[in-house]
Amino acid sequence: MLSRSNLNRLAAFWRHFPAANAVNLTLIIIGIMLVWLLISNTIENPARYLPSPIQVVLSSFDMIYKGLLPSYFGDTITRLVVGSSIGLALGIPFGLLLGLNRTVADMFYPMMNFFQSVSGIAIFPIVVVWWGNSDKTVLAVILYTSFFPIAFTVLSGVREVPLRYIHAARTLGASRYQIIRDVLLPGSMPHIATGSRLSIGFAWRAVIAGEMLAGREGLGWMIFTGQDADKTSEVILGMVMIGVSWIILDHYLLRPFEADTIERWGLVQR
Amino acid sequence: MSIVATASIAIQRRFGRQRLRQYILGSIPFVVLISAWHMNTVFEWLPPVFIPAIGEVWDAFFILQEDCAGVGAALTLDNSCLMSTHILSSIGRVILAAVIGLPFGIAFGILAGMSRPISKILEPIGIFANSISGIAWIPLAIVWFGVGWMTTLFIMLNTIFWLMFFNSMMGVRGVARVYEQSVLTMGGNRLDVITQVYLPGAMPSIISGMRMSMGFGWRALIAAEMIGGDSGLGFMIFSSAEEFKIEEVFLGVIIISLIFLATDRYLLMPLEKWTIHRWGLVWKPT
Amino acid sequence: MPAKLVVEGLTHHYPDEYTGESVHALEKINLEVDEGELVTVVGPSGCGKSTLLNILAGLLPYREGIASVDGVQISGPGSDRGVVFQEHAILPWRSVAKNIGHGLEIKGMAKEEREARVKDFVDLVGLSGFEDKYPHELSGGMKQRCAVARTLCADPVIMLMDEPFAAVDAQTRITLQEELNRIAIATKKTIMFITHAVDEAAFLGDRCFVFSARPGRLKAIVNINIPRERRIWADMNADEEFVSSRDEILRLVREEVSVAVEE
Repeated sequence: MLSRSNLNRLAAFWRHFPAANAVNLTLIIIGIMLVWLLISNTIENPARYLPSPIQVVLSSFDMIYKGLLPSYFGDTITRLVVGSSIGLALGIPFGLLLGLNRTVADMFYPMMNFFQSVSGIAIFPIVVVWWGNSDKTVLAVILYTSFFPIAFTVLSGVREVPLRYIHAARTLGASRYQIIRDVLLPGSMPHIATGSRLSIGFAWRAVIAGEMLAGREGLGWMIFTGQDADKTSEVILGMVMIGVSWIILDHYLLRPFEADTIERWGLVQR
Repeated sequence: MSIVATASIAIQRRFGRQRLRQYILGSIPFVVLISAWHMNTVFEWLPPVFIPAIGEVWDAFFILQEDCAGVGAALTLDNSCLMSTHILSSIGRVILAAVIGLPFGIAFGILAGMSRPISKILEPIGIFANSISGIAWIPLAIVWFGVGWMTTLFIMLNTIFWLMFFNSMMGVRGVARVYEQSVLTMGGNRLDVITQVYLPGAMPSIISGMRMSMGFGWRALIAAEMIGGDSGLGFMIFSSAEEFKIEEVFLGVIIISLIFLATDRYLLMPLEKWTIHRWGLVWKPT
Repeated sequence: MPAKLVVEGLTHHYPDEYTGESVHALEKINLEVDEGELVTVVGPSGCGKSTLLNILAGLLPYREGIASVDGVQISGPGSDRGVVFQEHAILPWRSVAKNIGHGLEIKGMAKEEREARVKDFVDLVGLSGFEDKYPHELSGGMKQRCAVARTLCADPVIMLMDEPFAAVDAQTRITLQEELNRIAIATKKTIMFITHAVDEAAFLGDRCFVFSARPGRLKAIVNINIPRERRIWADMNADEEFVSSRDEILRLVREEVSVAVEE
């Protein structure tokens, strides 16, 4: 029965979906597609300069059928995961060490600052001379780019733990080790989460650049060779893949993880 | 009192004990690293093809500049003045991209911050453009503009514009409505609101965005020059690596980071610090 | 019976954070706190009350004079002196029960024993039912109750309190003061309570130490002879002893404030 109260209930149910936003987004995407279609139909040689969305979709079918797209995607994600996890595994303890000891921090801070300003991509030519166009080269670049942001964030995280927490623990008779375990480590957790997200973001860029430069198979390589082989539709397909994967990774994995950590550690002002 | 002790006290007074300690401690890793680098050359732990001698890196600068006809030729980016041409074309692109990209980014950002409909359209596009990351645009840019100035400039502009757009938009959104209302009740019009409320109110965020976009832009530019450039420092290190001229690669990398460090520390950071203090906020080092 | 806390000839200077000039915070402080006594310390702002507390807590090293608890000279923080801080210093990532048991955890007490003890103190401060809540889910008053329970649970010889109720609203403050009075009766704990509120000092203290403006000296000691059981705010304004002690403290503090203003 479709009574009035049932209708109201249905409306209330519907309101739980971010439908308005989704409709909006769909309209924008359709709008962009139309403009894109229009442009590619008016210019000369659209296959080279701006293939229409339809061609891009078709080329994606082609690449999925040949199994290339999933394999490239897998390669890129694997590199990101391996590279950034090693980067985080090294960067977090290093940042903690720097945060805990003033002398160590004073010693290494300027040097870290210098190396951070040498962007990871700029050291690529050096590494490529050492190890050639190999996976090792790409991993080194990812490691280099993801290490510094996390180390710096963790360092400031430890430093920003309010002094009153440390004082309170000391008056309860806590030893230095207990202060580190009970106060400084948990106190810097939100910064560790934020820094990880930042680092993975940098690593993502580095993966794409590394694959292009070192010619290792993956999404970066796909757009680079696509340009070489004059397959612009594959270039655009690769770009869309890169953009969409990052949005999914960031909005549905990294951001919720960060927000959750910050909330769990009770540092939200409510 | 010995001369050493007197000098040490004078230095301590000049810089402050804490500062001095930081300088000395901070220089230790650099000294160690440079000595290790030098020792590597002396004892040949790693072959000079992998790690060049310090002297060679220093000489490379002058060798690259050797054939230069003079200041005039250097300024016109003549191909005979390799070193200065690479440096100047990279810096030139940065300036050009900043001059074009920053005002546009700020203008669109403020507009989007003020108007919901505009931001609803531009924001998703911006999120998508940012997630593609400047570097992934390089192949398409090469298709459109070929290898050279236009491609590198496009990559940097693209990176700067969207970062600037987001920061300005967020800055405007953070401005309290009361300020707008107070200007309107005093008889101000829409333009007054923009120039007297939104622009100054968003200023700290805009300046931070400038610093951030220059950092990201510089990285993107180096990558663009490597893949799609025919001059500039990125092109230099990449092509030198292909010819195994490792001393030129080292030289290029050092120059790239020095230029970035100098601009960031002595231009952008003081500017950011000043704005944030001036607007009554607390600046935190990043 | 010897005093629990003894301070003799304590003088303290510290460098100003901005100018670097030496600030004379405390001048020859002599005081004693007996077992089971609740003393309040009151004085104009900047009189060195907090400096004194930080020294007693062991957070601030001192050179001139003697400060000892149970005959042991103070030389750093220790679990014999518990501190309740001005701001919320309970750890935001620990639940109420975990915060209260933190001191025992640091001592290495076994889990079952600890939990039983924590339960007693949760009940004592009236936080039953909130054991598993996190500090950000508590009101300001509840946070401070949790802080008091944490300190008491570690069973210190003396509890030092640094303006603990300054940041809560007036209504809650009255409740917290009455609660503290009740806790003092129940635990017979030796307590030193620092405040700038004269009412609070007179209501809570067995004795009230009035400090002078900088450099802080012990200016006067006001005895407040009201049995703890009778200390309820509703009756206080009719209580002659309370009113006269309060006015006495107020007069002493006002003298100092005017001195500070004239300078």
